[in-house]
Amino acid sequence: MNTDELEQLLAQQPVALLHRLARGRVHRHFRAGKKRLIELLLQHSGQNRVGLESDLQTLIGEQHSQSESGLSHIHRPPAITHKKASPRGAERECAETAVSLSTWLEGLGVPSPQPFVPDPWQSEALSALNETDVVISVPTGSGKTYVAVEAARRAIDNNRTVIYTSPLKALSNTKYTDFSRIFGPDKVGILTGDRQENGQAPLLIMTTEILRNLLYDAASGEIDIRLDTLGLVILDESQYLADPERGVVWEETIIFCPSQARLLLLSASIGNPQDIADWLTSIRSTVCRLVRHSKRSVPLRAGYLHPNGKLTPLFRTLGIPYGHPSQLHPETKRLFLEYEEETLPAGRPRR
Amino acid sequence: MPPSIHPVDLITALRHKHLTPAIVFLTSRRACDEAMETFDHADLVLPSARQEAIAVALERITVQYPSIAEHPLIPIVMRIGIAAHHAGHLPSWKIAIEELMRQGHLDAVFATTTLAAGVDFPARTVVITQSSIRKSRDFTDLTIGEVQQIAGRAGRRGKDHVGFAIVTPSPYIDLTVLTKGLTGQPEAIDSQFTISYPMVLNLLKAHPHEQIQGILAKSFAQFQLNQRAELLEQKLDALRAQMEPFGPRVCTDWITQWHTFDHARRHRHTRHQTHRSESPEISARLPFLTPGRVVGLSRGRGIVLRQYRSKGQKNSMLTVLRPDNAVTECPVTSVKEIYDRTYDCAETPTYPWCPTETFDRLSHQLEELPSRLPVLPILRSTSIEPLPDAIVQSLGEFPCPTCPSRPTCQKDFVIASRLRQEQQRHTKSIQALRTSLWHRFQERVDVLQKFGYFTLATQLTAEGEWARLIRIDHSLLITELIRADAFTGADPSLLAGILASLAHDDDRPGAFPRISPGLSSLLGQVRKLAESLSPYEDPPLLRADVAALVERWVADPTLTWIGLCRLTTMAEGDIYRLLARTLEFLSQVKTLKSTHPGLAGSASQAITSIRRGVLEELP
Repeated sequence: MNTDELEQLLAQQPVALLHRLARGRVHRHFRAGKKRLIELLLQHSGQNRVGLESDLQTLIGEQHSQSESGLSHIHRPPAITHKKASPRGAERECAETAVSLSTWLEGLGVPSPQPFVPDPWQSEALSALNETDVVISVPTGSGKTYVAVEAARRAIDNNRTVIYTSPLKALSNTKYTDFSRIFGPDKVGILTGDRQENGQAPLLIMTTEILRNLLYDAASGEIDIRLDTLGLVILDESQYLADPERGVVWEETIIFCPSQARLLLLSASIGNPQDIADWLTSIRSTVCRLVRHSKRSVPLRAGYLHPNGKLTPLFRTLGIPYGHPSQLHPETKRLFLEYEEETLPAGRPRR
Repeated sequence: MPPSIHPVDLITALRHKHLTPAIVFLTSRRACDEAMETFDHADLVLPSARQEAIAVALERITVQYPSIAEHPLIPIVMRIGIAAHHAGHLPSWKIAIEELMRQGHLDAVFATTTLAAGVDFPARTVVITQSSIRKSRDFTDLTIGEVQQIAGRAGRRGKDHVGFAIVTPSPYIDLTVLTKGLTGQPEAIDSQFTISYPMVLNLLKAHPHEQIQGILAKSFAQFQLNQRAELLEQKLDALRAQMEPFGPRVCTDWITQWHTFDHARRHRHTRHQTHRSESPEISARLPFLTPGRVVGLSRGRGIVLRQYRSKGQKNSMLTVLRPDNAVTECPVTSVKEIYDRTYDCAETPTYPWCPTETFDRLSHQLEELPSRLPVLPILRSTSIEPLPDAIVQSLGEFPCPTCPSRPTCQKDFVIASRLRQEQQRHTKSIQALRTSLWHRFQERVDVLQKFGYFTLATQLTAEGEWARLIRIDHSLLITELIRADAFTGADPSLLAGILASLAHDDDRPGAFPRISPGLSSLLGQVRKLAESLSPYEDPPLLRADVAALVERWVADPTLTWIGLCRLTTMAEGDIYRLLARTLEFLSQVKTLKSTHPGLAGSASQAITSIRRGVLEELP
């Protein structure tokens, strides 16, 4: 085996194997990246070429038998086997299946119009809302608005008032336009600090602060007919609960929300929706139902666009590899490294 | 190669791969505007059919929102089919862009990452150019939730099979933040419950003081605090189990008992050491251990060369000449015998501690010594000075020295005391977690009592009755201003100006229109009061330029929107937001019509004068 062949062979191996090979040969090998590691190993090969080559062959052999026998080697402690074998196996597998750009771009286009069928979670949320409060935590763009609209429609049909709150005035305005289009302009009203448009309509849109103020007024004895017939309160973008300045308003609103009204909390994906649901259960008369899922209705793919205009997939897999942030597409990895080398001032380490 | 992709190239690339319509998230408003400018001379013109479609759609929107009719960005939007969408724009313009985007007329929108939550329209593609976001003057990495919120705009239901989130690097981008954000689980959210003055006033208006703790306990904040407390309680239970073998022994609270005993013992010990009080036997010997004295050591004999104290040694030390000219150091306690024999020996301050000739003579004499020497009898002095030590005396009161479980106590003490300390720490923090909200509430009540909004029995005073209607930021300052009659006789424009400076919390620099003397003197008064209230409430920015701007808008009904915008360097969207916030504050003041009819009247006048032109378009 000459040096070029050896270099090629080394380059084909996963970096973990190279590290094992470098153990005892290269000082501080764990600090080196693959490229540098190969360089160092080749430098070292001058000292004991035969030893290096034979060790390399053993390691490759070992790896083959490992991936073939799968989980059959019991002589090792299982935890370690799993840890060491699976990422390496996965990496190799992915290297083979890293998607090409053309595959990645496939499926681009407009789907043929299909009759709207509510997702199972949407129907689940709606039926749960007949009995209890509901917290919905789903990814952005999965169709929370559909649930809000349907729930509002049912409440209005039952002659109940519906209040819909959003954190931003701009969103309120958009929803006002949207809902007026859906329910008819006479059915929808909007409340701001100094203005009421159609303030006696069955569906009222306001910011959460306004609702909080209404609830405080009601608590201190000022009667508001709209709160008596209140059947449903929809709090959109409930993840604002964690907003450092305004989050407290959502809490106040939920605490003082009349018990006869159902609460519907719509939230983007958050880490602890169960906590929110448990909290609601603990302070409201009924057991709160949590509806959550993380699957997007339109699947998402991630790409990388290099400043020179070259487009590559960001990850090795076609979709987004949830839970595996390091499975970058090899091409992307290379391009980004190149980019970093060009843009970062020399000698300054990345933070 | 440029550090980041040129906007024109970006759009070309997206169009080429059929990845439009796209939302491009950029760092700042300025970045969005600059990106738009690069298209001024770009050769990316839309086919005329699409240009016409945009024109038709825009016309339809203009009917509802006349303010966008003359918008300077319209030509480029029509020509190239791209637009910018950020907080610097008027809401009506943003609505127009959103509408165009929803109808699919645009190819790309440049938006700021800061307003990602306000971007409520989907696209086929989302382009991410950065991994950090500006939050109150600082750049912080995007959270997983934020990355997913941004990426979530990609993929329109019913219009796309898939959505695309495309990362394109710019300097200082951290790819791992984005990959982790795309693949990770969003963060858990935490309560940000704060107790404000209006909250206290309104709660105590509606509920008696005793019920408040129960109401606060219903907050998500308390729910999360309880969760933490429960975790600690579990730990506490585990600790209790661990403490079991260290339960009551001869005395019920042996840990404390042993602790004090041990402490006293140690204390005595250290005193002992510092005093270097040697035992009576030893101290009786000391006067005899002078240079030249022959002494018997555990092995062989020697002649004392000097006696000294050493810092590290408990006892006095001796330097002894041993046979074979060896010079050794040893403590006085190692001297076995003191012989009745001395030689002449003068001390010198350095090694070998005596003149050389004496040293030679002494070593010679040491070898010549007979094998038996008379031992010097040393009488112990009877009058030993008792240690006048209160602690040592009190040691006698401890049962420990004679207690049968003393050895086990001594052995277990280290573990047991550590466990108990932990137990106490946990108990304390659990208590703090359970009561912290209540304490914070109580602090607020105390302040309000001090200012006379509450009686001592926490009943609302007449002042409190109306003050509870002011439910905005800086409420204490506003109510105090009203009580100080700062606004009495002030005309609507002045009132609006002051409230604007209270409402505006953005520190983006703006230019100064000329400020009227009435406003500036009133603003000075407000500033003084805000300063004096600063221990109780964070003072507002109180910017004079925004105050003057709003005053002009209210005072001069002939001023057009364009004219107002020319007065300042603030962006249109910021001016709009300033006026909208001022409206909110004014509408709160307006609710005081039963107690402060004059003030409420001028607030309502100010509201009507603010609500004109652009501000009338949206509720």
